[in-house]
Amino acid sequence: MSTHTLKITSQVRAVALALVAIPILFVAIAAVQARIDALSGSVTQQKEELLLRSGPMLEKLSLGYGPLLADIYWTRAVQYFGNHMERRSHSFELLAPLLDIATTLDPKLVIAYRFGAVFLAERPPGGAGRPDFAVDLVKKGIASNRDVWQLNYDLGLLYYMRLKDYRKASEAFLDGSKNPAAPAELMKIMAARVAENGESLETSRLVWAELYNSTKDESVRQRALFHVQALDAQMALKKLNDNSEEYWKKFGRFPTSIQELRDAGLVQGDLKDPAGYPYVMGPNGVPQLDPHSPVPVELNQQKP
Amino acid sequence: MSTMPAAVAVNTFREAVRDRVLYNLIFFALMMIGAAILVGQISIGVERLVIVNLGLSAISIFGIIMAIFIGVGLVYKEMEKRTLYSLLAKPIRRWEFLVGKFAGLLLTLVVNTALMTLGLAAALFYVSRSFERSDVGILTAVYFILLELALITALALFFSCFSSPMLSTLYTLGIYVAGVFAPDIKGVSEYSQSPALASLARFVYYLLPNFHNFNVIAAAAHGETIPFALVWHNTLYAALYVIVILLAASAVFSGRNLK
Repeated sequence: MSTHTLKITSQVRAVALALVAIPILFVAIAAVQARIDALSGSVTQQKEELLLRSGPMLEKLSLGYGPLLADIYWTRAVQYFGNHMERRSHSFELLAPLLDIATTLDPKLVIAYRFGAVFLAERPPGGAGRPDFAVDLVKKGIASNRDVWQLNYDLGLLYYMRLKDYRKASEAFLDGSKNPAAPAELMKIMAARVAENGESLETSRLVWAELYNSTKDESVRQRALFHVQALDAQMALKKLNDNSEEYWKKFGRFPTSIQELRDAGLVQGDLKDPAGYPYVMGPNGVPQLDPHSPVPVELNQQKP
Repeated sequence: MSTMPAAVAVNTFREAVRDRVLYNLIFFALMMIGAAILVGQISIGVERLVIVNLGLSAISIFGIIMAIFIGVGLVYKEMEKRTLYSLLAKPIRRWEFLVGKFAGLLLTLVVNTALMTLGLAAALFYVSRSFERSDVGILTAVYFILLELALITALALFFSCFSSPMLSTLYTLGIYVAGVFAPDIKGVSEYSQSPALASLARFVYYLLPNFHNFNVIAAAAHGETIPFALVWHNTLYAALYVIVILLAASAVFSGRNLK
């Protein structure tokens, strides 16, 4: 056999060995990695910390790559939030600093203000349960993004939904209405309604319906829809309850079915909840949702 | 087994020493002395923590810089200087040459790391006047840094087989940075709503060398015990990965026409 042939055989052998052995070794590596993930879970979880909490300091250290670093911090904030929600943790200690750093590094990162505020304001385990931090974050966003009326709207929502501060909610909506890009009419109506009658179901429905129409995020849209449906059902039930009391005044007893109200001429038509289930009459003439109805009435009965 | 890889390794080590690679130790020593003196003046109650964090981070950073910048020139330099041709004319196989180069640089890094660890120990003793049982964790962290350096050396050597030092540095650094962010890639696979993206992220997660595995600096600084199972699993992981990279490097290097 010539030297040339020997050399080629040696090359073929090296490549063949690599082609066969590398995939097998990668399977082994993946198995070892899975075991390391299980083992190191406790070590890394304990070490979840944020060594540098100063946004301005990080901005200087970023050497002009602040926006890129902001994206990384925003991604980290989302992952931190997702991990804690997945574990149903009630502690979101690093969420506010992470969001603060991300928005200091890139003050125009509107998504971080808008979604960050939702993460901070939601009650645990769905969020950090800190609407006060959420308000601070959105105010910071408004200061750097005067042209984004949605931030005023979000601030109004936070005051209205979470903090039940109707005066400040109204002011926020009114501020937003001054933005040329904002739906001024609607914002003014919301400001007026919230100031006059913040606790009414109709006002609440108006705010959620506007959120449903304005958001592009499917999960927020779904949540707004749930609220709108729940409020519609609540308003219908309230009206039916009034009819039931009227029935009591007329006949000296409570109706046992919706049909009795219909027979007495107090209600008309096919009375169904937003999911298409007919309303039912509960004990003592209290109207209720069908037990199979998916409409989440309790959504609007939660305390902030 | 041939003694050729050992001979190449010893020569690689000697060459590194001749190139004054270990001069970085002077900088490290000055930094640790400065930190040990300063830390007592500017911090309260965290002197040990700062010294351990700073020392281990410096060992890791210095090691990574050495592994990459020397590793990428291991094969390329031999070809440029044409010393490789006279070497390969001897009864040495190409894979033996690569293994020798890898072992030589690793030996340099081990010596360098060991000396830096001594410097760290001295600074630690200076600030706290004693050693604690939990300081064993620092040695574990140093061992993990060495595993990390072995992987980086293998990667740099692999790229050195077919690319210029400049590009090899970029490739190695790129893979290193991606490997540090491995948990985030895993996060994408866990939280993505797209099954295709989730599968792709999972595949990339297992394919990339996971450098996050070797980062226990914070745990060591806080005096935590690092489970023995983690030590040997990380050792196994690094060993398997190094074998994979050296196999790939051998295949590439064997196929190269060196005329």
